[in-house]
Amino acid sequence: MIEMLQWTTLIASGAAALSRIPNLVRRKNRSIFYALALLTLAILLSIDGPYLAIDALLGGANVANLLLRFIIFGAIFFLALRIAAGFGDSRGIQLIRGRTGMLALGLISTVLVVCFVLMDTSGSSAGLVHVAAKNQQNALLVEYYGAAGRAYPAYVCLAILPGMLRAIRSPLPALLRMSAALLAVGSIAIPLSLLFPLVPPGLGFLRFIVNYTAILCFVVGLALIWVASGRAGRKHRPLPAERH
Amino acid sequence: MPLPAKAFQRWLHGVAPDASVADVARASGVKRTTLAQQLVRGKVAEATVVGISRAFNINPVAALGSFEPYRDLGKPPIPPTLQELVSQIATADLLHAIISRTEPDAGTGKGTGPPGLSAPPHATSVKNWVDAIDDGELRHRVSTATGVAPQNYSAQLTANRLAPELAVATSRAAGVGLASGLVAAGLVTEAEAGWPPGARQAALDSMTDGELTVLAGERLQALGKTLRRQEHDQRQTETIWENLG
Repeated sequence: MIEMLQWTTLIASGAAALSRIPNLVRRKNRSIFYALALLTLAILLSIDGPYLAIDALLGGANVANLLLRFIIFGAIFFLALRIAAGFGDSRGIQLIRGRTGMLALGLISTVLVVCFVLMDTSGSSAGLVHVAAKNQQNALLVEYYGAAGRAYPAYVCLAILPGMLRAIRSPLPALLRMSAALLAVGSIAIPLSLLFPLVPPGLGFLRFIVNYTAILCFVVGLALIWVASGRAGRKHRPLPAERH
Repeated sequence: MPLPAKAFQRWLHGVAPDASVADVARASGVKRTTLAQQLVRGKVAEATVVGISRAFNINPVAALGSFEPYRDLGKPPIPPTLQELVSQIATADLLHAIISRTEPDAGTGKGTGPPGLSAPPHATSVKNWVDAIDDGELRHRVSTATGVAPQNYSAQLTANRLAPELAVATSRAAGVGLASGLVAAGLVTEAEAGWPPGARQAALDSMTDGELTVLAGERLQALGKTLRRQEHDQRQTETIWENLG
């Protein structure tokens, strides 16, 4: 079940990235392609098999996990900026790109790296499960490290959430409001992941469901915008499209 | 509320006993597949009855009156009020009237006279009609009578749509001619609703310059607001395409 969710998310994200290649060639909103490509890579790294393979190439000391965190930061940074700009949410942009956003990114990144360095990270293990199991200090560090990794995406999502909620109630076309709703669900789910340490071990599968559902919501929400944009393009500019 | 297929079949049998579904569709201009689908679903749209009535030279309002939910449409019509008549004149026609009143020789040139009024419905027919008969509590009464939520009712008015059932319910609640709403909604013509010929033109002529100008001004103001909102929404949508498309 969880495996299926993971691979579905990977395929959806990969397909979304591939579908952006024509626009990449046309130099239109290229950062979306890069963000989706990063996201796809991040999902790949979060799945057991690929993680172990890639981490082995990087020395088997879980550097891949640190890499994964920064890939997620990058992907979510560019994606959220685009989304906020698209929905005309200047406050959201300010919160992400302004001083507060940069401070949050810097601080969280520092905590992340410091925790990683202090840990005994030998022995590849997706999600650092085995690393945490080594001793009590490691377990604590993994906990902080994980929290830091979730904190920045949560901050960014909370920054764009008000804009999404406004868009849902706005008189925009139905398809766009639907995608705003999906993006809003994603932006709520990711901050929820900060509560993961409180989830009882028996319900650990909830973590996966929240994480991957959030990503799926983002990817599908964005894809809906392209569907709507394609339709609108056909409706408003039929001639240029047929000339080619 | 669409009409039950059974009652429709009975009515159709009375109107055109020997006609097949295909014949009826061809004569009335209703698509055959549409008609067949409505029959299968058991719900026939009022517009279908109107189309068929016209094809067989029956008054569509009277035809609708033979169905249970519209029983009172069969009664002798109440003539439209002055406000209703004026509400069904397009804004452009009001402006034409103002221009031809102030500069009788302008525009059309060689004395062809003012152009005739365009037939209802116009772009804001529904809302203008409801505003014309609203005593302030009308929307509330319609909503209680029909169980349609006020915001859904308003949404229809804004979109210049009005379901036939709601149109008749609105007339009932306002105590005006029952078919007027169907005219505003574009389901039937003013003649079919029993409005006297030239009634709108007469209503327009009876307005003073001041009344006419104020009315046209209100229409323009509302139109301007709508257009500005549409332009704003359009800009917003374009920002999304630009950044995320």
